[in-house]
Parts: sequence; C-alpha cells; structure tokens
Amino acid sequence: MSTLARLEDEWHDEVPVARVQGEIDASNAKEIGDRLRSLLSNRSVAMIVDLSATTYLDSAGINLLFTLAEEMRSRQQRLALVVADPSPIARMVALTGLDRAMPVHRTLPEALGDLRDDPA
Amino acid sequence: METSEARGVVRREGLEARVPLAALQRVTEAALAHLALDDLLAELLERVAEVLHSDTAAFLLVDDEDDQMLRARAAKGIEEEVEQGVRIPIGRGFAGRVAADRQPIIIPDVDHADILNPILREKGIRSLLGVPLMVGGRVIGVLHVGTLTPRDFTPEDRDLLQVAADRAALAIDHARLFERERRAREASDDAVRIVEAVQRVTDAALAYLSTEDLLGALLDRMREILHTDTAAILMLEQDGRVLRARAAKGIEEEVEQGVRIPVGRGFAGRIASERRPIIIPDVDHADVLNPLLREKGIRSLLGVPLLVEGRVIGVLHVGTLTPRDFTPADRDLLQLAADRAALAIDHAELYEQRRVAEALQRTLLPQQLAAFAGIETAARYLPAAQGTSLGGDWYDLFPIGRGRLGIAVGDVVGRGLPAASLMAQLRTTLRAYAFDGHPPAEVVDRLNRMLVYLRPATMTTAVYMTLDPEREALQIVSAGHPQPLVIAPDGSARFLPVTSDIALGVTRAARYHEQAFALAPGSTVILYTDGVVEVRGEALDEGLERLRLLAERAHENVETLCDAIIEEMVADGRPADDVAILAVRLVPLGDRIVTRWPADADVLANLRHLLRRWLRQHGATDDEIYDITVACQEACANAVEHAYAPGGEAFEVDASRTGREIEIAIRDHGQWRRARGAHRGRGMPMMEALMDSVHVEHTADGTVVVLRRTLAGGDDA
Repeated sequence: MSTLARLEDEWHDEVPVARVQGEIDASNAKEIGDRLRSLLSNRSVAMIVDLSATTYLDSAGINLLFTLAEEMRSRQQRLALVVADPSPIARMVALTGLDRAMPVHRTLPEALGDLRDDPA
Repeated sequence: METSEARGVVRREGLEARVPLAALQRVTEAALAHLALDDLLAELLERVAEVLHSDTAAFLLVDDEDDQMLRARAAKGIEEEVEQGVRIPIGRGFAGRVAADRQPIIIPDVDHADILNPILREKGIRSLLGVPLMVGGRVIGVLHVGTLTPRDFTPEDRDLLQVAADRAALAIDHARLFERERRAREASDDAVRIVEAVQRVTDAALAYLSTEDLLGALLDRMREILHTDTAAILMLEQDGRVLRARAAKGIEEEVEQGVRIPVGRGFAGRIASERRPIIIPDVDHADVLNPLLREKGIRSLLGVPLLVEGRVIGVLHVGTLTPRDFTPADRDLLQLAADRAALAIDHAELYEQRRVAEALQRTLLPQQLAAFAGIETAARYLPAAQGTSLGGDWYDLFPIGRGRLGIAVGDVVGRGLPAASLMAQLRTTLRAYAFDGHPPAEVVDRLNRMLVYLRPATMTTAVYMTLDPEREALQIVSAGHPQPLVIAPDGSARFLPVTSDIALGVTRAARYHEQAFALAPGSTVILYTDGVVEVRGEALDEGLERLRLLAERAHENVETLCDAIIEEMVADGRPADDVAILAVRLVPLGDRIVTRWPADADVLANLRHLLRRWLRQHGATDDEIYDITVACQEACANAVEHAYAPGGEAFEVDASRTGREIEIAIRDHGQWRRARGAHRGRGMPMMEALMDSVHVEHTADGTVVVLRRTLAGGDDA
C-alpha cells in the first residue's frame, strides 16, 4: 500500500469496519477498493467505511464508494460511511450526493447502532 | 721431530730472502685475491716446476668427503692423475706417508720405493720429492715434484718446496673458504630468489586476487618451495581466541570441516600464543590437536605465525607424509614467506572489506534524494580518510504523507562492517516507523528500544525531524546529536535551540520528545554529523561557529552550500571522521507558480501538496484550500487520462494570484476523451460546484482547463 493512505480493519460481529487514514486519489483508489472488497464475505450483511481520518477524497474516491455500494446492494449487503462533520470530506460527500446514496454517520458508534436498529 | 721441524723453520726463514722465491711469492699473494682454486693450483704448479726444474708437479688434497683419503686435484706433466681421479689412502704409499708423517719425503729411486700410484711408474718418473700442505697444524694435502731422470733432491730443494707448499696451503685454504662462502651465498641467493618469487605472487595478488585465491596461490608456492605434502593457513577469529582453517592444500578437509583450534593449545594453537615457529619431527609423539593431521598420515610438521605489525593474525604450517627433520633454514624460509603472506592477507582482507563496504554504503545511502515540489535538497557523504572506507554516518529523506518529509541524519559510533550494517538497520527501521504514521518522538522511542534490543552497548546519535511545508513547521527530535543549523531568508544563520535527549542505544528507559519550530519560506535547514565540525586541537564551539559563518556566506543554493561546507570545513577533502551533510531548503512560492508534471497519477499527491502550500501562503482558508485543490486535481486527473495520446506524457499547471482571485490553468497536449462509465462523468460537475468558473478549451494542440475562484478573506497585497 502506498504511503498516501493506510487502511485498518476491525470486525464487529459479522460487520467489517475499514478505517482509511490519509488521502484517497486517482493513484490509490483502485488499491483501496480491492482492500475493501477483500474484507467482505458471503456472510457479511454490511460494511462500514470510516472516513473520519481521511484527509483528502476526490472524484476517484467518490466513484469508488458509489461503485462499491452498487456492487454490495446487488448482493443484499449495505455500505455505510462515517464522516466527520464539519469537514472538507463532508462537503464533498454532500456535493456529490454520496450522502443520498448511502447512510452517512458522524461517528462509528452511531453507524454501528444504526445497523443494529435496522438489521434488514 | 721437534728439532728437525724447528731447524726447518730457521732454514726456511733464511731461504725466503733468496731470489727464486720472489716469483712464487708474488703468484700466491696475487692469487689469494681473485683466482679460482683450480687456476691458482695450476699457476702454482707451473712456478714450482720452473723453480725446482722438475718434470712433474702435483697437488693432492684431503678429500672433502673422506678425510682419510687424498685426491689428485691438480697436476703438471702427469695430468692423468687428475683425469683418472687418483685417490691415495693417508698413511700408505709415497703421498700417503707424506700426509701421515707430516714430513717431507725424498725418493731418489722410484724403482726401489713403496709407490702406490701406478701412473708415476707408467710415466717413467725416476725421483720424487713430496712435502705436506699444512694450515694451522692441520694437513690439508700434499705437494710433490718428480723428474724423468734420476735426481738427488737436496735439503735446499726440500726446503724450497716446503716454502712453496706453505704458501700454497694458505692460498688453497683461503680459496676453499672463499668457495664455501660463494656456495653459501649462492644458496642464500636461491633463498632470496624463492622469497622474491613468493613476494611477486603476493604483490601481484594484491591487485586482483580475492583473499581465497591469494591464500591458495601462496600455499601452492609454499609446498613447492619446501617440498612438503601439505600446507595450510589458519586465521585468527575476531575474538582472538580461536584459529579457524581458512585455506589448505593436501589437507583440504581442514577447511571443508571448518577445523577450529583454540589459541594456546595443540600445534597451531601454541604457534599463535607463543608467536614463534614450532617444528614437530614426529607427529606421533607430539601434542597435536587436529585429528585430521593424524588421519591424513602426516609425520612431520613445521609451522610459523602470521604476524602483521607484531600482531598474530594466523598460522601457516606445512607437513610431510614421510618423517622429515625440518632445518632452521626451512623454518627461516617459511617465516620469511609467512611475513610476506601475512601482509598480503592483511591487505587483501582490508581491500575486500573496503570493496564490500563501498558497495554496501552505496546501497545504504539514498542514491538520489526524493524530489519534492517547492523543496530543494542536497546531501554529501564522505568516508573518513583512514582505514576502511566504511562509516556509520547516514542520512535519509523520504515522504511521510500529506506532503510532509521525514529527514534524518545519524552517526553510529565505530567503524567497519558492524557500524555500516547497524546504520542500514537504523535507517530502514526509522523509515518503517515513520511510514506507520507515528509522531517523531514515538518513532525515535521505538528506534531506541529496537537498538537496545538489537545491539546492546552500541551508541548512536541521530536527529530526526519532520517538515510540513504547508504549515511551514518543523518537528525535531534529537538523540544526543549536534543542533541543526538554519539559514533564514535574510541569510542570517543560527543553530536551532533543540534540547537533546540521550543518545540511542544507551538505555531502554530513555524517552524522547519533539520540539516544534517554524520554518519561514526561503529558509534552509542543515543537518550534519560531528565530522563536519570536529577538528583536532580545536574546541567544538569554534568548529560550530566556523560552520555558521560559512553558511551565512554561501546560502544561495543547497548544492553549492554543501560543496562549500566540504571544501572549507573538511581539510583536503580527507576527513578524519566520517562526514554527512543534508541541506533542505523551503523554496518561497511567489504569486505565480508554473510547474510541469509527468502524466502519472502518482504525481497528483505531490502537486496537491504544493498547491495547498501555495494557497495557504496566500491566506486561503482550509475549506477554500480543499475545494480548489480538489477541482484542480479533477482537471489534472483528466490530463493524466489523456496521456495515451502522443505528446500527452506531461501536463502543465499554471497557478497565479491577482488580488484575491486565484486562477489555475491546467494544460495538456493529449487528446480529450469523453468520460465513460456510470460514475466517470463526475469530475466536471464537481469542478463547477467547487469553483466560481470553469473553462474548458479544446485545441488541436490539446486541452486547457481554466479554474477561477475568489478568496473570501486573504491577503490583497
């Protein structure tokens, strides 16, 4: 993985949580996408991508998240985001309509709670 | 007998004054100087025959190999004596009795006398006179004359011949001594030639042979010169306690099995500890540790220490499969060869170590510093002039994310391969911890713990800092290292007042802390090792002050700055200690920056960081910086995608500020491609949402995207 971003993962029951530290741009978006997909199994009902430590996200990253959400939806899996607000990333998410395509939470506990409340 | 001899002496003294002797005397004296023995004897016989009017004359000398025999050595008139190698036992016959009786003998009539030598009769000799050749009371031969007509040799004839014989005896003795000396000299010349041959091998070897090949060649030479069956070299291990078989001929198993002999024990061990040659005539009855020597059936051994400047570096020994008494000459020759070999081995090892060291150092230090837009860097490394060119100084410079740089300089105490390999480990480890995203103090904490674990009792000083060009900020951690020097934009230089923590590797309990410093655009930071400022006989403060003043004079450019430091701070470019210098300059960014980039997604981060820094310098807020950067990157990402077309290998970013308006033009020379795929067209709407205006112009030459945005606050100047 490039020095631009680091990806840490943890599991909450069957739900993988991926925390992206650093920057996502055209040079590493594909690599990060591959890492995220590798965290999913057939038993996963959802995945949370935590962008609260992400310092840069451009259209390459936005496109990645849209595409990933579509893939998961087709397998009855859900993608949720954690984005600090206010933050430049939150404005990007709003600007591109990403927040209307998938659930976006301010904190990880909030995202996990939402999944428990609405396990469908 | 005593009286007759005493009388003879008196008479001889009287005779010496007589004229006929003069010629003889001259010959013998001249002869001492330069004639070879055979020529001398021939000359003497001529004179004797002439003076005594005899038909024959002959010298018989005591045989070199058998002192009970006389051997004909020179003859006149009866040359057959010499040709046939006539030998007469002392005490028998005419000459034998002269020698045994140590008295002159006169034989008036050969027919009625006890004559052993048939040649004398065959030649028709009728009368004989013989006298002993004496030197220091010792008989060395007989001189006799003969006539073909009967003659009564008179006492005067007898005394005259005796005088000639005494003279001749001295001359012969001298000549023989001279000859022995010459043979000895020739023998020693042979030894010199052999040694020279050894020397030639070793000298030539220095140039190109590896240590292994050199040792092999030396051992072959030793076996050949000393006619031995085996030869082996054991080298002293680094700890100085054990000898290890390093090369062997005839007993190759020594090396294959890695034979180790403790110093002080056994044959080789004792040679090393006693630092002297040892000869073992019979291995069966000696203290020989190495079972291989017995197994191979070696009977006799000769070994000598390999010494360099009085220090034992190993042992060279030769052995034979048949019993042999090694002579002192063998011993001296082997020691002579060993002395040369020791030097050659020492040189070869140094050379090899240096070669490895240089190759290692080349791979250990960054060949090319990472390039950062808006940052100039230069580095120098000079190994110490003495010893192996292998030092423990190091420097490094690498990206650590978000446009920041990790910068390090360190100095491992010590030299040689251990120091260099440790330097390599430290450098790699520091990078790894830095990449993991740890703050500087944490990176150095971990580095210290790693070092204490890895190499207890090794000390290293180092300074590690991060530079955030956008924030114009330095975070510095010092582990016992000299303070970094900073040249301000106005050219003044000062040492950053960094409080140093303890050196690395001293204690696991050490804690490191980072200190923050602002770095104004246009400033240069210089990191260095103490080899730059430490001059023998000078206080450290003086060296530091010289460096500071030099930096104030030569601050224009990092490359020329480094050159000036090497030139002025390091005497003759040959430092006493290793020298490492790393200079990093934060280039000031003006109202307009024009940069050209290869069309590769990997450059986007670097471009982004430069743009951020430029925008912040012009008073943009965090949100503005983010928006403008993202918009610009979208345009650049397009340029990268267009790179498939000819001429699309690079694109240009032209950013300028007029008052509060920011304009960025991104030009590529590729071919515009319509966005494909469901999510590919997001770039253009994003740019339009983020900027006040976006203009795209397609020309035959390529595409230009012009982005504009007015900053809310900012610096209007």
